[in-house]
Amino acid sequence: MAKESKTPVILSLSSGKGGVGKTSLTVNLACALAQKGSQVLVVDGDMALANVDVLLRFTAHKTIRDVLERGEDPMKAVIFVEPNLGVLPASSGVPEMVDLGPAEHVLLGNILSSIVGHFDYVLLDTAAGIGSSVLWLNTFATHNGVVVTSDPTSITDAYALIKILSREYGRKRFFLILNSVATPQEGQQTFDAIARVAEQFLGIQPQYLGCVPRDNVVLKAVQEQLPFVKGAPRSKAAEAVVELAERIRRFKRE
Amino acid sequence: MDQRDDAVISCPEGKSGCPVVAEIRRLKEQLETLKKEYDRVSRLTECDPLTGLFNFKHLEVSLQREMERTRRTGFPLSLIMIDLDHFKKVNDVYGHQVGNAALRWVGRIWRNGIRITDILCRYGGEEFTLILPATSLKQAVLAAHRLRTSLANTPLVEEGEEIRLTASFGVEVYKATDTFSADEFLKRADKYLHQAKAEGRNCVRSMEDSSAGGETEVLPEERVALFITRWPKL
Ligand SMILES: Nc1ncnc2c1ncn2[C@@H]1O[C@H](COP(=O)(O)OP(=O)(O)O)[C@@H](O)[C@H]1O
Ligand SMILES: [Mg+2]
Repeated sequence: MAKESKTPVILSLSSGKGGVGKTSLTVNLACALAQKGSQVLVVDGDMALANVDVLLRFTAHKTIRDVLERGEDPMKAVIFVEPNLGVLPASSGVPEMVDLGPAEHVLLGNILSSIVGHFDYVLLDTAAGIGSSVLWLNTFATHNGVVVTSDPTSITDAYALIKILSREYGRKRFFLILNSVATPQEGQQTFDAIARVAEQFLGIQPQYLGCVPRDNVVLKAVQEQLPFVKGAPRSKAAEAVVELAERIRRFKRE
Repeated sequence: MDQRDDAVISCPEGKSGCPVVAEIRRLKEQLETLKKEYDRVSRLTECDPLTGLFNFKHLEVSLQREMERTRRTGFPLSLIMIDLDHFKKVNDVYGHQVGNAALRWVGRIWRNGIRITDILCRYGGEEFTLILPATSLKQAVLAAHRLRTSLANTPLVEEGEEIRLTASFGVEVYKATDTFSADEFLKRADKYLHQAKAEGRNCVRSMEDSSAGGETEVLPEERVALFITRWPKL
């Protein structure tokens, strides 16, 4: 583990709607970034219904909740599934972790700030919805990723999330990832529609990070608990995620 | 307070013209007069003598109290900061007498346009403040528009001359979940008032007009715009 303090890219992945692929993309992007030799941390920000541990097949002994409630050393809670890929796990099935209060968010901010300096990339997987913790994690991030499918409800929810974050929290730079697309054209068209409305009504210009095709390897990866960028590196989905990781590597640090 | 009336006060010995009873009646009358005087004086300490509206002191006290009430009841509290447009000109052109008449005029018009629970204050100079308990931002913006048009449409007539007055309005809301202070509340409303001034006067500004905040609900027109390309081409 590097001792020096880095300025990491902190990328949140949110969507408004659930089940659109946030966790799958977070985990696989993290693997792709780690494969390039970067130090990567995944924070399971779905703090009440964690499943990063499921997708990466590990058992968490300490979680964000232990760190928050019992003051455990956060670095000791981080599980390294690879030498350069750590996960800060969350608890599962704990309703009081759904939406933390302002004081707990301050504490969580301190905790995360104390460990992110060890990493080049910190990916924040978030819960569905637009609860206070989802919004808070987005304000903690340096870059706001929004995962969206071509499903109308996903589009509306993603736009609603962008609207709240830009109007109430002053976030202006959003990176859209179109997931489960049938064709790249479909991804581009859906992005164009959202970008046009965001420009017209919110005065902001979301950026297109790219798209990931609908691909059975994603489902299989969940069942086998092995990220598809590793288990099926030649699949279309894996290639798309590697390409996304390349674009993330070009993010400016601030 | 004891509400016994004069009929009850009679001499226990049945003496007519009893001096003790007469003295009691006199004292009671004096008490009434003093009470009225007390009310008048205490109103004076929280009233602006020129316009008869509440003064800044009363504003401060009421705002604290109403914010506390909002935290308890959950009903939003709205605040409107108002400034008369180009008022210095009125003073310069017509003199201070007319200027004062204008301030009284404005107070009279607006007092008739608000609810009894609303608290209209003269903040100082040509600035006014309206506190609207249990009022959402949307309702308060509408109220501000009503005050704006009522003033703009009823000119003051002084010495046969029509003087048209207008005002600018800044509106802000305090919700139960908000944590800012009364001072900050005034500052925020004042910020929108400045925006109204900067954007041409005789208008109402609030969070609803500023791109830095406001409603976050996805509007019907945004929904339509999101899916417009999916509509079958005719
Ligand atoms: N590109 C894709 N192709 C096929 N299935 C996908 C794709 N992305 C996600 N899925 C499936 O959708 C489901 C929800 O994914 P998940 O990552 O848990 O979403 P979220 O974290 O947004 O709730 C999973 O079963 C996953 O396998
Ligand atoms: Mg998830």
